[in-house]
Amino acid sequence: MNKPTLLLIDDEERILRSLRMLFFTGYNVHMTTDPHEAIRILRDEKVHVIVSDQRMPIMQGSELLRIARETSPSTMRILLTGYSDIKASIASVNEGEVFRYLLKPWNAEEVKQTVAQAAAIAEASFALQQSHVEIVASAPEKKPRVLIMDDDESTAQAVQEVLHDRCEIIWASNAQHAMEELAKQDISVVISDLMLGDTNVSYILKTIKQINPQTQCIVVTSFDDTSRLIDLINQAQIARYLSKPIHKSMLARDLEYLLKRFYALSNLPALQKSQSVAPINDPQEKLLSLNFMGLLNRLRNVTP
Amino acid sequence: MRRGHNTGNDIASLVIPLEPIAPEVTLEEVANMFLYPDNANVLSLPVVDNGRPVGVISRYRFLDIYLKPYGRELHGKRPISAYMSNAPLLVAHDQPLAEAAQHVAEHMRFPLTEDFIITEHGIYVGVGFVVDLLKAIEVQMRANSDELNQAYSRLKSSQLALVQSEKMASLGQMVAGIAHEINTPLGYVQNNVAMGQELFAQVQAMIAGYEALVDGLLNPQADEAQITTLMQQVATMRADINAHAMLGEMQGLMTDSLYGIGQISELVLNLKNFSRMDAAMTDTVNLNDCIESALNIGRNVLKSKVELIKELGELPKITCAPSQLNQVFLNLFTNAAQAMETSGRLLIKTWHVDGMVYASVADTGLGIQPENLSRIFDPFFTTKPVGEGTGLGLAISQQIIQQHGGEIRVESSVGAGTCFYIRLPARSAAGAPRDGTTLQTPPTVLRTA
Repeated sequence: MNKPTLLLIDDEERILRSLRMLFFTGYNVHMTTDPHEAIRILRDEKVHVIVSDQRMPIMQGSELLRIARETSPSTMRILLTGYSDIKASIASVNEGEVFRYLLKPWNAEEVKQTVAQAAAIAEASFALQQSHVEIVASAPEKKPRVLIMDDDESTAQAVQEVLHDRCEIIWASNAQHAMEELAKQDISVVISDLMLGDTNVSYILKTIKQINPQTQCIVVTSFDDTSRLIDLINQAQIARYLSKPIHKSMLARDLEYLLKRFYALSNLPALQKSQSVAPINDPQEKLLSLNFMGLLNRLRNVTP
Repeated sequence: MRRGHNTGNDIASLVIPLEPIAPEVTLEEVANMFLYPDNANVLSLPVVDNGRPVGVISRYRFLDIYLKPYGRELHGKRPISAYMSNAPLLVAHDQPLAEAAQHVAEHMRFPLTEDFIITEHGIYVGVGFVVDLLKAIEVQMRANSDELNQAYSRLKSSQLALVQSEKMASLGQMVAGIAHEINTPLGYVQNNVAMGQELFAQVQAMIAGYEALVDGLLNPQADEAQITTLMQQVATMRADINAHAMLGEMQGLMTDSLYGIGQISELVLNLKNFSRMDAAMTDTVNLNDCIESALNIGRNVLKSKVELIKELGELPKITCAPSQLNQVFLNLFTNAAQAMETSGRLLIKTWHVDGMVYASVADTGLGIQPENLSRIFDPFFTTKPVGEGTGLGLAISQQIIQQHGGEIRVESSVGAGTCFYIRLPARSAAGAPRDGTTLQTPPTVLRTA
């Protein structure tokens, strides 16, 4: 097998040199401080993984990754940044759809592993492209299920208005109810606030994504916490992060897009690896996740 | 009845339930009433008909009539209604004190000859002394002023808290920017060291291989097969690790690392210079140094989109609190960067004329709407979205400049940009700004032996 190609972009050349050394063996490394040059490389070459800084003079990393997504959808996108402001983090989800959001200074081993994982996923995805398998995004006969996890009724109303009866809509206003619904049946899209009453439900999203990679998660929330959002990107691969109050037109567009992605992922399990998540690192969330996993196994085993 | 009646905070508490007189009572009888010891303090007697006050007869008026020659003989048997004043001072028992006082003051005659009559739904309940009313008013005023004082001190402390929160907000912005500035060099330095360590282990293993081979070659007892194995091991290692290339690369990374550490040290030094917590409040410094210091700290907000032009003239040193002036300039630079949405030019000039030091900070940003221009130094005035600005940055800047005996003003035209001018006296006569938040000078840095 040929070495996977890695594209590094940062406005600090020393970062690039340092990273090149990290991937000295095993990769074909391109590096540039110029995002336009990066776009050119993406167009001309098969790039497996792109690792970009966020804050750059000419273009923000999230913007570059959005262009990368359109230019070369199979290329896995990673953001490596020393500055975690909430706007950039939200853009990296909604526009860049990043695979991982990594922070500087980084752990060499962790970055190596993440890039290796991303490269393998991209390789599979390129192979799929070459085998001309048609990615069918057609709706299945069964109605998709949308689960709303929010104690705020206006969210449920907004979703209802947007979807009408296209989907089966389930509304859970507490964590227990939400977990039971998720355990009972497969859900296409989860629309969730981060807090249900006093419960931080991040662990539910992280767990469900571990089990059902095709399930798409939209977080709708009125509070912004960058570090929590970064965890949700890496450990739950949330598809969208929307601020409350919800813009219905935006929600409608996102739901349309994510339902299609859900169909595509369901029809082609090989693609599901692109949605793989990093392990939960918070010890308490880990415990909660294990309990939820137990509930899932019990309920799924008894139902035929 | 005696004066010194218990005065509370309403009219009802002022009531003296004086027995009124009927309109048909004669002057002779009234004379007797005025002589009652209980009535010694009253100025007047109320005249009440069917419970309703109809008039008042004052001691003054009464004596006027009675002391005239034959007054008693002429008028003694006639009813009081013929002599009383028909317009007594009336106050309702539930009237607010201030309102009652105003009414009394407006209708009172001088010299004071009457008490006022207190009614409940028009029915006579007693009289009140004007002096008591004034006393009650005074008590109330004092309570009000206490309340006012409390409100004032609450306001003052909340303003202090707000000034503090503005400091924290700009600090938060600054910290986020500095985190980026530090994390970038920290990122590659840490990575380089980690890789250096790995390479070091590989090179060590390789040297061990070479040494084993050399030992084998020097050892007369070693046989051909042993030497061959050792040679093969070394050859494999050589093929696996491109030591020359790796070491060459690593050399470059070491240079980068030293550079990065230098960058971090510089940032830390800048931060220290900026806050000057370890220096006295007042200092003689060159204003250009304050500007450079603020530019160093604000670099991350400026560098990505702003073309910076400095025209810094030769300046005499000025007496000031450098950390405060740094804050002013950082605030101006941050505002300028925010006003220039995509890109722009920031022109910073300094010069001095006749004992005055001048600085101007001009941007090519959006400019300020004329209706906002007069308000930009007002506390809490902000055009930024909620949560992004406290509206105190420029208010505090102005306060700092004024405390230094200087002046800050602004010119702006929408679409073209904004320019702030600062004027400071080169020799501050006022000396150090005193604002109660003066930092104590910490003990001099301890030297390790």
